Amino acid sequence: MAASIAPECNEIKERYDTCFLKWYSEKYLRGNTTSNECEELFTKYKKCLNKVLKERGIDTMLEDARKSSSETDSEFLRKS
Amino acid sequence: MKVFSSTCDFDYSWEEVSTANWRKYCPWNDKATHVVGVDTLSRTIDPSTGILRTERLITCNQSAPQWVVTLLGGSTTSHVYEVSYVDPVSKKVTMCSNNLTWSNVLNVRETVTYQPSSSATTQFTQEAKITALCGGWQKIKNKVEEASVERFKENAIIGREGFETVLEMSRRVFGEQRDLEKQKL
Repeated sequence: MAASIAPECNEIKERYDTCFLKWYSEKYLRGNTTSNECEELFTKYKKCLNKVLKERGIDTMLEDARKSSSETDSEFLRKS
Repeated sequence: MKVFSSTCDFDYSWEEVSTANWRKYCPWNDKATHVVGVDTLSRTIDPSTGILRTERLITCNQSAPQWVVTLLGGSTTSHVYEVSYVDPVSKKVTMCSNNLTWSNVLNVRETVTYQPSSSATTQFTQEAKITALCGGWQKIKNKVEEASVERFKENAIIGREGFETVLEMSRRVFGEQRDLEKQKL
């Protein structure tokens, strides 16, 4: 799996990514879209990552980018 | 604005492609060494449609031409914000990305889709809209846009080769895992 921009988050990121990929291929693609067994790992990973994003000022860049994602949301979050 | 688009087919099922897509930038992909970080920012499932929405931050260390580096302030690390949607019912992956770095000079919006073209093959489409925003001469804007489109073209070929390697490795590893599980039973 690819690395995190924050080396200190790599270990927890790796664990989360592995969990997600297993869930995605074995459950999600087979129709079980409700479970969220990787949530705990994700919360820990996000906590580590968000600290670094803030330190490097990336969080403010993301805020701006998120504003434009409502366009794609309305297009691709619909039932097709 | 300039538009770049391309399309191709992969000889793998949509399930395989959409799974391998999550590790497109892993160490198996020796063609994407410019990608130094892929971080997941959020992930949600829409309860009514089952669509999986993921936000990621992709960090690159791009080797840009010197004049571009100078123009853009001397830094070669760039960030891309990507929102992707997986629709498990209609079997479609859509990934929309936007550059975060240098966004005041250049706007790059890319949309990638993966859809089954048969039960064993998957169609990939890519469209990038590139707009130079720097004030001043149209000539310079055109030059910046043209250089960016050229770069996209080159990278599209390299990107495909790299992803082929990831697909091949994924199939092998999943196969080995299945064999191992069978042996345990």
